[in-house]
Amino acid sequence: MTTQTTDAQRGGGLLVVENLQKHYELDGAEVPVVKGVDFTIEPGTFYSLLGPSGCGKTTTLRCVAGLETSNGGSIRLDGDVLSTGDRHVPPNKRDVGMVFQNYAIWPHMTVFQNAVFPLQVSGGRLPKAQARKRAMEALELVQLDHLAERPATALSGGQQQRLALARALAHRPRLLLLDEPLSNLDAKLRDTMRTELRSLQRSLGISALYVTHDQSEALSMSDRVAVMNGGRIVQEASPRELYDRPADRFVADFVGRVNMIPAVVRDRDEHGDAVVEAFGTRMVTPCPGGVVRGEEVTITFRPESIRWHETAPADRPNVLPARVVRVEFLGEIVEYEAEVLHGGTTVGRLTARGAPMASPREGAEVFLELAPHACRVLVDDPVG
Amino acid sequence: MTAAMIVAGVVIFLLLAVPLIVQVITAFRGPFLPFGVASAQWGVSNFVTLWELREDFWSVLGATGAFVGGSTLLSLLMAFGLAWVTVRTDFPFRRVIGVLVIVPYIIPPIVKAQAYLLMVSPETGVLNQLLRLLPWTGDVPIDPYAFGTLILIQALTNVTFPYLMIVPILTNMDGSLEESARASGASWGETLRRVTLPMLWPGLLGVAVLTFILGLGSLEVPLLFGQESGRSIFALKLWTLISSNAGELPQYGLAAAWGLVFLVITTIAFAVYLRATRNAERRASVSGKGFRPTTMKLGAWRIPVAIGVAIFILLTAVLPLFALFWAAITPYPIAFSFTALVEQTQFGSFAAVLADGEFWASLGRTLVIAGGSATIACVAATVLAYGIARSTSTWWTRAVDLFASSSVAIPATIAGFAMFLLFMVINPVIPIAGTVLALVIAYSYRVSIAYRASYSATLQIRTELEEAALTSGASRLATFRRVIAPLLLPTVLAVWIQVFILGTNEFTLPAFLATPESRPLSMYVYAMINPRSAQLYAPDQGAAMALVFTLLVFLIGYGLQWAVSLRAIGRAKRRPGLPGLGSRSGKPPVAPAPDTISIAAQEHQEHRARTKLRTPDAAGSERSVSRS
Ligand SMILES: Nc1ncnc2c1ncn2[C@@H]1O[C@H](COP(=O)(O)OP(=O)(O)OP(=O)(O)O)[C@@H](O)[C@H]1O
Ligand SMILES: [Mg+2]
Repeated sequence: MTTQTTDAQRGGGLLVVENLQKHYELDGAEVPVVKGVDFTIEPGTFYSLLGPSGCGKTTTLRCVAGLETSNGGSIRLDGDVLSTGDRHVPPNKRDVGMVFQNYAIWPHMTVFQNAVFPLQVSGGRLPKAQARKRAMEALELVQLDHLAERPATALSGGQQQRLALARALAHRPRLLLLDEPLSNLDAKLRDTMRTELRSLQRSLGISALYVTHDQSEALSMSDRVAVMNGGRIVQEASPRELYDRPADRFVADFVGRVNMIPAVVRDRDEHGDAVVEAFGTRMVTPCPGGVVRGEEVTITFRPESIRWHETAPADRPNVLPARVVRVEFLGEIVEYEAEVLHGGTTVGRLTARGAPMASPREGAEVFLELAPHACRVLVDDPVG
Repeated sequence: MTAAMIVAGVVIFLLLAVPLIVQVITAFRGPFLPFGVASAQWGVSNFVTLWELREDFWSVLGATGAFVGGSTLLSLLMAFGLAWVTVRTDFPFRRVIGVLVIVPYIIPPIVKAQAYLLMVSPETGVLNQLLRLLPWTGDVPIDPYAFGTLILIQALTNVTFPYLMIVPILTNMDGSLEESARASGASWGETLRRVTLPMLWPGLLGVAVLTFILGLGSLEVPLLFGQESGRSIFALKLWTLISSNAGELPQYGLAAAWGLVFLVITTIAFAVYLRATRNAERRASVSGKGFRPTTMKLGAWRIPVAIGVAIFILLTAVLPLFALFWAAITPYPIAFSFTALVEQTQFGSFAAVLADGEFWASLGRTLVIAGGSATIACVAATVLAYGIARSTSTWWTRAVDLFASSSVAIPATIAGFAMFLLFMVINPVIPIAGTVLALVIAYSYRVSIAYRASYSATLQIRTELEEAALTSGASRLATFRRVIAPLLLPTVLAVWIQVFILGTNEFTLPAFLATPESRPLSMYVYAMINPRSAQLYAPDQGAAMALVFTLLVFLIGYGLQWAVSLRAIGRAKRRPGLPGLGSRSGKPPVAPAPDTISIAAQEHQEHRARTKLRTPDAAGSERSVSRS
C-alpha cells in the first residue's frame, strides 16, 4: 500500500481532456480532424486511443504533448491547465515524456547522452552527478545500461525503442505519451515489448496515453480503451467491456472480428432476453431495453464464440445447419467460413474460429451453435 | 529563435534586394548617381539613350547571345558526354577520369583565361604550335581573337560546372526504366533518344539555365579576349561603362539601364529554371527501389571515346598548366623548343613572386574576404533555411524561400555592378566603397548556395528528432543548439568550404569593386598580365603567381575539406550504424564534397527528402537520402 502511494506520487498524473478540437488549414480551408474529444486518464492508468488510420489519434496525442496547438477545449494535467483554446503551455514545460513511432533517437549522441538529455535541459535540469545517476537508472529500467557508451545508432530496432522509452522516462514525467511505439518492430519483438512496456508502466505507476490502430495491442495492454472514429471517441470502456459489449457496429467491427446478421425481434421477456428471427430460424439473445417486438435489429457475435457439431445437439438454442466452404489455417487458430442452410438453400454466411485440433473439413455439413450469452443486439446503425 | 530568423532574413534582404533596388533607381534617375548629386532627376532618359544607341544595343545583345548561348550549348554537350562516359559506360579508368575532369574546377577562372590566352597566342602559344604539326593547318591554326575561339574558350572555362551538375542527375536515374526499354527491343541509341533524354531533359534544362547565368556573369574571358575581338559582350560593356574616360563622368545611369535589361532576361531564364526543376521533381524517376543505373558497353566505341576524353583533358588541364608553367620560366613569350628549354629558362619569377610583399598582402585579403563572406552567407542562410523549412508553407514562406534562392539568378556582373552603385550611394554616410569590407559584403551575395544546401539538409532531419527534444523539456533554442546544429554542421561546413573556394576564385565582383588597396589575389594576377597596367605588367611573374595561386587554392580548399572529412570519419568510427537497423529516423546528412555540390543535385535530394516527409509512416520510403 505504501509503495502504491509513492509510485503514484512519483509518476501518476491525472489528465483531463475536455471537448478538444483541432483543425488543420489546407489551402485556406479548415479541415476538422479532432471534433470534440473528452476523456480522463486516472493516475497510474494505461489509457489507449484506438482507431483506424486517419481518425485523429496522433493529432489528439500531439495536442496533449503540446506539439500541436488545439483550436478549442481544454487539457489539464493534475489541475494545471496545459491548453485552452487560446493559451498553450509549450511542450518543454508540460512535464510529459513522449515515445515516437520511429523512435527519434538522436544519431549524433551515444545511448547515455540520449538518455541524459532531458536532465540537462531547462525542463528538468539536475546537477551533473545526479543527472548521471538518474539517466543510468532509466537505462537500467529498459536493460540498456550495459550499452550506455555505444553510439545510439549502433542499436537494434528493439533496443532503439527501449532507449526512446528510457529517454521519455528519465525526467520522471507525470504522463507518458506513446504514438504507435511498437509498429516498427517485428511480430515477435512486438509481443515481448508489449509485456515489458506494460509491466514497466505498472511498476512506475505512471499514467500513460497510448495511441495505436492495433486492437490486440490496445486490448492486451490497457486499463481503459477509447475507440476513435472520424475525430470523435465513439466508445470508452475497459478492454473486456469493449470486446463483449461494443456500443455500435463500428466498434464491434473494429475491435476484433464480428459476424453481423440482420434480424427481426419476435418476442422479448422481462429478463432482457429476446427471441429474434435470423436466417429463418428463431434465436435467443440478450437484448437492451427499449427494443420492441417487430423491430429490425442487427445481431452480432464473435467468430470465436461459435462452436460446431457434427450432429445436431439436442436441447440447445441457436443451432444452425451449415456447410463449411473455406478453411484457413492461421497458425494458432483455424478460421472457417460457412454457408448457413435453411430448407436446403443458402441463406447467409458466417465466419467462425476455433482451435486447429478440431476443425471441420471443407465441404462438410455441420451444425453451428451460437451461445446466447455471446450474442448482442445492436439497434442503432450510425456507421452502416 | 524567431528573432534570429528575422535577423537572418534581413541580412539576406540587404545582400540581395537592396543593391538591385539601388540599380533600378539609378536606371530611372540618372545620369550619374541617383542621390547626392545635383544632376539627378527621375526620368527615362537612360532608356532613351539606350534606344538612341540601339545599333550598339542590338549588337551587344547579339554578341552576348551568341557568346553566352554558344558557349553554354558547347559546354553542356561536352559535360553531358563526359558525365555519360564516367557514369553510365564501362569505359576503363572512368574513376580516374572522373577525378581528372574536375581538375579545371580548382583553377581560378581568371587563371584559366590567362592560360588559354597563352595557349592560343599566334606564334608562341603551345596549342597553335601543336596544331601546326598537323598537315592541313595553316600558320595560325587558331586565331585568338576570332569570335569562335572566344566561344570555345568560354565553354572550356566553364565546362566543369555543368559536368558536376549532370553527374548526379545521371547517377540518380532509375535504371529499370531504361532496362524495360531495352527489354522491349530498343537499342542503346533508341533508348537514349526515346526514354533517357525525355526523362532527363527538365533536369538538363535547369543545368542549362544555370550555366547560362554563370556565363553572363563571368568577365574573365571577355576581358582578356573580347577587347581585341571587336565584339562587345555584355559583361565587358557594363565594365567599360563604369570605368570613366578621362574628363567624363561615368555613365552609371546608362549602365544601370543596361543591367536592368539583362536582369529581366535572367529573371525569365530563372523562371524557366524553376519550372524545369519543378517538372523534374514531378518526373523524377527516383523510385527508391532497384536503384542502379545500368552501364552501357562501349565496345568498338572505346577508341574514339578515349581520344575525345584525352583531348578534353589535354585542353582543360594539361596544356593550360603547361602554358602557364612555360610562361613563368621564360623571360618573355617564346615558343616552346628544347633549345629554349635549355638556354632560356629561369626560375626567378617564382622567387620574385614569393618576395613580393603585395602578393602576400593580396593573398591575406583574399582569405579574409572569402572567409568572411562564406561565414556571413552560411550563418544567415542556415538560420533562415531552418526557419523556412520548418514552418508551414504559406505564400509568405514560399516567397521568402524563392527570394533567398534567387542569387543564382543574378549574374555576378550585375551583382558586382549593383553593389558598386550601392556603395557609391551610401558612401557619404557609410564610407566603405572600395574597401575589403565592401568586398566581404559583395561576395556574400552567393548566399543562395548555402541557403539551398541548408534547406535540403534541414528537410532531411526528421521533425520527430526535434519534437523528442521539446517533449524532453528542452527549449527551442536548446533544441536547435543540441540537436539541429550538430546534425546540420557537416553540411554547413561543406558549403562553407565551397563558398570559400568560390570566393578565393572570384574575379568578376572585385573587377567592379576593388581598388589597388583592397584587391584580392585574382585581381593582382590580372594586373600583372594586363599590358595596360604599365608599372605592374610582368607576364612571367603573372604566370608564376597564377600557378602559386592555383596551388594555394587547392591546398587550402582541399586541406579544409580533408580536415572536415577526417572529423566526419572520426565520427563515423564512433558511430558504426548497422545498416538497416541504424538510425532510419535521422541519419545526419552526409556532407557532399564541396566540389560535387550542385544546385541540381540539391534540388534532387530535397525532392526526395520532401517525398519522404509527406509519407512519414511508410517505412518503405524511408530509405536513406544520403546516397545521392
Ligand atoms: N498537417 C496536416 N495538414 C492537414 N491535414 C492533416 C495534417 N496532419 C494530419 N492531417 C489529417 O488529419 C487526420 C488525422 O491525422 P492523424 O495523424 O491524427 O491520424 P491517426 O489517427 O494518427 O492515423 P494513423 O493511424 O494513420 O497514424 C488525417 O486525415 C490526416 O489526413
Ligand atoms: Mg498516427
